[in-house]
Amino acid sequence: MHEMSLVRTLLAQVGEIVSANGGAALRRVRVQVGPLAGVEPALMASAWKQLSAEAGCGDATLEIEEVPLVARCRGCDMDFQPLQFRFRCPSCGVPETDTISGDGVVLQCVVLDDIEQGAST
Amino acid sequence: MTRVITVQRDVAAQAKEQAEDFRREMTRRGTLVVNLLSSPGAGKTSLLAATAVHWGDQQRMAVLVGDIATDRDAQRLAPLVPAVQLTTGGACHLDLPLVQRGLEVLPPGDLDFLFIENVGNLVCPSSHDLGEHVRVVVLSTTEGDDKPAKYPKAFRTSRAMVINKIDLLPYVSFSINSASDDALSIQPQMEILSVSALQVTGIDRWCRFLVELRARLPQLCPPR
Repeated sequence: MHEMSLVRTLLAQVGEIVSANGGAALRRVRVQVGPLAGVEPALMASAWKQLSAEAGCGDATLEIEEVPLVARCRGCDMDFQPLQFRFRCPSCGVPETDTISGDGVVLQCVVLDDIEQGAST
Repeated sequence: MTRVITVQRDVAAQAKEQAEDFRREMTRRGTLVVNLLSSPGAGKTSLLAATAVHWGDQQRMAVLVGDIATDRDAQRLAPLVPAVQLTTGGACHLDLPLVQRGLEVLPPGDLDFLFIENVGNLVCPSSHDLGEHVRVVVLSTTEGDDKPAKYPKAFRTSRAMVINKIDLLPYVSFSINSASDDALSIQPQMEILSVSALQVTGIDRWCRFLVELRARLPQLCPPR
């Protein structure tokens, strides 16, 4: 189950962003996951629940957006969504295609709340 | 005040950059790095043993072999070639730091081929770039011919598929055509080689394929 190691890496990267922003409170993390990312979103969510609590940011939510697989044909330059992972170009039939999205986990954004200094009622 | 920090970055970007550096260094040394993926028991170790026997002293090869536990595979290979066991202690895949540590343990000297035998698993290892020039997926006839369709990432990211245990074809329900059709629809540039590592069938073609790949070493990069 490599979702655990993936979430550890994600938390480390998010931690660096939080530190670079003066230690603001982490509220939300948004990632995009594609069909060829090799990641099961439900397992990633449960790994986040466990590991974010251990990292001291258990209140922060992880939003996982599932995005489609997109490939680009090297012959005609067309972008297409490979149905059932069939990667030959459906337009010109060229076999050489590159996966351009949907094969990884992309950290989209991090939502922070500034901690108000000296706030009092 | 709430702030949204836009990042838009692959979580594995840093690991991919490190893998790219490693690949570049191995290219400079003239070593073709091959990452072997398969289910447990598909015959990766047997394929490497047959490769070592076929080449003898003609090619300098070494093996880093990953398993969750035991050093049995390294022991099997050690009489034939330098082999180092990478024991993951439960992790389902190898990562680049483990490979780099293994390489340091190998006897010093130039290598023509470095084989990384990954942990038997068609899921997790396919998401980890180990700095290899070539990923090869080994599929054995006893597993069934539906594996390319069931595990698309392992096959999409591989340059070659070795179908092993073809000597057992009369006894199992496995269609080379069906497995090949599925693999080629996922990776249309896939090289398909049929072998029996134990009966030493097709090993000459497999070894020739590797030597030809090494001749194109500077141009090699993993498929996307």
